[in-house]
Amino acid sequence: MGDVRNGIATRAGAMILAPVGWLANVFDAPLRMLQRRTGSNGMAVFFLAPNMLVFGIFVLFPLVINILYSMTGGGALFLGDRTFVGADQYGRLFSCGSYLDPKSCTEDLFWIAVWNTLAFVVLQVAMMVAVALVTALVLNRELRARSFWRAVFFFPVLLSPVVVGLIWRWILQRQGLLNLMVFEAGGTPVNWLVERNWAFTATIMVSVWAHVGFYALILLAGLQAIPKDLYEAAEMDGTRPLRVFWRITLPLLAPNLLVVLVLTLIRAVQIFDEVYVLTGGGPGTSTLFLTQYIYEVGFASMLRNPGLASAASILMGAVLVVLTLIQLGIARRNEQRGKMR
Amino acid sequence: MSQITLTDVSRAFGKIGVLHDINLDILDGELIVFVGPSGCGKSTLLRLIAGLDRPTGGAIAIDGKDVTTVPAADRGLAMVFQSYALYPHMSVRQNLAFGLENARMARAEIDARIAEAARMLEIAPYLDRRPGQLSGGQRQRVAIGRAIVRNPTAFLLDEPLSNLDAELRISTRAELAALHERLSATMVYVTHDQIEAMTLADRIVVLRAGRIEQIGTPLELYNHPANLFVAGFIGAPRMNLLPVKVAAGGTGRSSLTLDGSAGFEIDGIVSATNGDVTLGLRPHHISLADAGKGDIAARVALVEALGSETIVHTRTSGGQTMLAVVAGQYPVASGDTVDLKFDTSHLHLFDDTGVRIAVS
Repeated sequence: MGDVRNGIATRAGAMILAPVGWLANVFDAPLRMLQRRTGSNGMAVFFLAPNMLVFGIFVLFPLVINILYSMTGGGALFLGDRTFVGADQYGRLFSCGSYLDPKSCTEDLFWIAVWNTLAFVVLQVAMMVAVALVTALVLNRELRARSFWRAVFFFPVLLSPVVVGLIWRWILQRQGLLNLMVFEAGGTPVNWLVERNWAFTATIMVSVWAHVGFYALILLAGLQAIPKDLYEAAEMDGTRPLRVFWRITLPLLAPNLLVVLVLTLIRAVQIFDEVYVLTGGGPGTSTLFLTQYIYEVGFASMLRNPGLASAASILMGAVLVVLTLIQLGIARRNEQRGKMR
Repeated sequence: MSQITLTDVSRAFGKIGVLHDINLDILDGELIVFVGPSGCGKSTLLRLIAGLDRPTGGAIAIDGKDVTTVPAADRGLAMVFQSYALYPHMSVRQNLAFGLENARMARAEIDARIAEAARMLEIAPYLDRRPGQLSGGQRQRVAIGRAIVRNPTAFLLDEPLSNLDAELRISTRAELAALHERLSATMVYVTHDQIEAMTLADRIVVLRAGRIEQIGTPLELYNHPANLFVAGFIGAPRMNLLPVKVAAGGTGRSSLTLDGSAGFEIDGIVSATNGDVTLGLRPHHISLADAGKGDIAARVALVEALGSETIVHTRTSGGQTMLAVVAGQYPVASGDTVDLKFDTSHLHLFDDTGVRIAVS
C-alpha cells in the first residue's frame, strides 16, 4: 500500500515539475552563454544584482540621503534646495546647559524624548522580560488545554500596533471599559490617559501586553530545549524547586534570555505606533518618545525641520546598531556554546 | 546497603498497561539486571523504584519501609541516567557537589567525598572541566561519580553504557563489575543488551510486555530458560528453535522427529499434547559430523569465520534455518552439505504454549 502511494506521489511530483523542468531547459542555453562570457564571478553578480538593487534603493540610498539631510538646514524638502550646515544640527541637539535638565537645552523636546525613552526602555524591558519568563514557565507546565493558552498569549502579537492602540484607548479612556468596571466595583474612575504617571504606565503595560507572547515563545522554546532528565537528576539529588530554577533553569535559559533582552531593548528604543495611537505623546510630553519626536519634527510640526529629524534619527540609529551588534555577538557565542555541548 | 521489594507493582498510562503485577525481591548487595526488548517496561520499572514515577498499583519497599509515595530524594537512591544528565553549565566538581550541597553537607565533607570518588574513578584531572569538554567515557565516569558521592543505599543504572562505542563499552563494563565488587552496593541495572546482562548480573530479570518472564542467575537463564521468549532472548547467537514431533521411543526414552523424517532419541519421557513441541538447541551445542554420522543433513548457507570460532548458518531439507558454532577455524563453505550432530544433553523442549517441558 505504501509503495503504491509512493509511486502515485512520485508520478504526481513529476507531472507538477515537468513545466518547471521545461522552463529550466529554456533558460539553460542563454545562461550557459552568459557564464562563458562573464565567468563564474560574473554569474554571481548577475544573480545577486536584483537583490542588491532593491537593498540599494530601499535601504542604502535612504541611509545616505538621511546622513546628507542631517548636515543640511532649512525647511525645504528637496536636498538640492537645502543649505549645507555641517554638524550644526548635531550641535543643536547637544546644546544643553545640563543634559539632566531638558529645559536648559536648545532642543528641549529632544531631551524630554530621550529621558522618556530611557525610562520607558528600563521599565518596559524589565517588565517584558519578567512577564515573558513567568508566562513561558507557566506555559511549559503540564496544563490542561496548553495549546489553547499558548495561542491566547501569542494572539496579541498578530494584531497591528494601531489596532492595539485603539483597543486599549477604548478600554482606558475616561468613559472606557476599565473605568466602567472600577465604577461597578464601587471605586472612583481614574483618567488613565490624562494623568501623567498613569498614561506612562499605560504605555508600558500595553506594549508588554502586545509583544510578550513573542518573547514568551522564544523563552518557551529555550525551556523545552532543556533536557528533562536534568530535572530528574536534580529531583534525585533532592533539589528544592526554587534552587532548580536558579541553578538549572535560569543558567540554561540564559542564552535565550539574553536574546530576548536585546530584542526587547531594540524594540523599546523604537517604540512609536501603538503609543502614538494610544496617547499621542501626551498628556503634555509625558509619553513623547524619540521616534515620535523625529516624526513630529520631520513631518508633522508646522515648522518642520527635516535636517534636525535626520540628525536625531542618525543618533538613534547608532544606538540601535550597537544593540544589534551585541545581539549578533550573543547569537554567535550561543552557536559556539551549542557546538561545544 | 538495602533490599528492595516490589509487590504487585503495576503502571498504566491511561488505558494502556505498561507494567503488570511485578513481584520482585532485590537482595542486599546484589547486582540485578532488568533485560528485555525495547518497550518491555524495564526503564519504567526503574523509574518507579527511583521515585521519578508513581505506580498505579502495588507497593515498593526499601529495607521493609513502604516508599511507594515517598519522593525520589527521600528514598536514598542514586541514579545514573542513559544520557548521563550532567549539568552542562557546571564543572565536574560542581556536578559532583550539587546533590551534597542540597543536603547542606559541610564543605570539608563534600570535598573529601569528591576527592575519594575522583580517585576511585580516575577523574581527578577533569574536575574543573565542564561535561562538554569530556569524552563519552569520561562523562560516564562523572555520572557514576555523582551517584557514588551521595553514598546511596542503592544504585539505579539506566542503560549507562548505551552511548559508548563497542570497545569502551567492554572496558567500562569490566570497571562497573569491579566497582560493584568494591562497593558491595545494591545495584539495579537496566539494559537491552543480553551480553551486558550476562556478564554483570548476579541475577537477571527478563521482561516482556510489562511482565516478568523469568528471574534467575545468568547461567540458570542460559541453561534452563523457562519459556521460548527467554530461550530466544538469552544467548548469542540465539537458540535454534525447531518444531518437532515427539513420540514414545525405547524404554525410558522419547523419539523426536524433525522435518517429517530425520529424528533421534533422547533419554526421558516427554509428554506433550498431540506430540507437537518446539526443540531448542544452542548453536554451541551443535557440531559438524562426518557424512552419515550426524542427526540431520543440511546445506551451508553462510559461514562467519571469527577466528576463534566459526558460525555456520545452515538450511535443512525442510527449510529450517539452523546455526552451529564450532571452535576454531572450520574448513566449510557456502553450498556444502554437512551433517549436524546434536548434543542431546543440552536440548530444551517447549510445549505449544511456549512453556518449558520437563523431561522425566
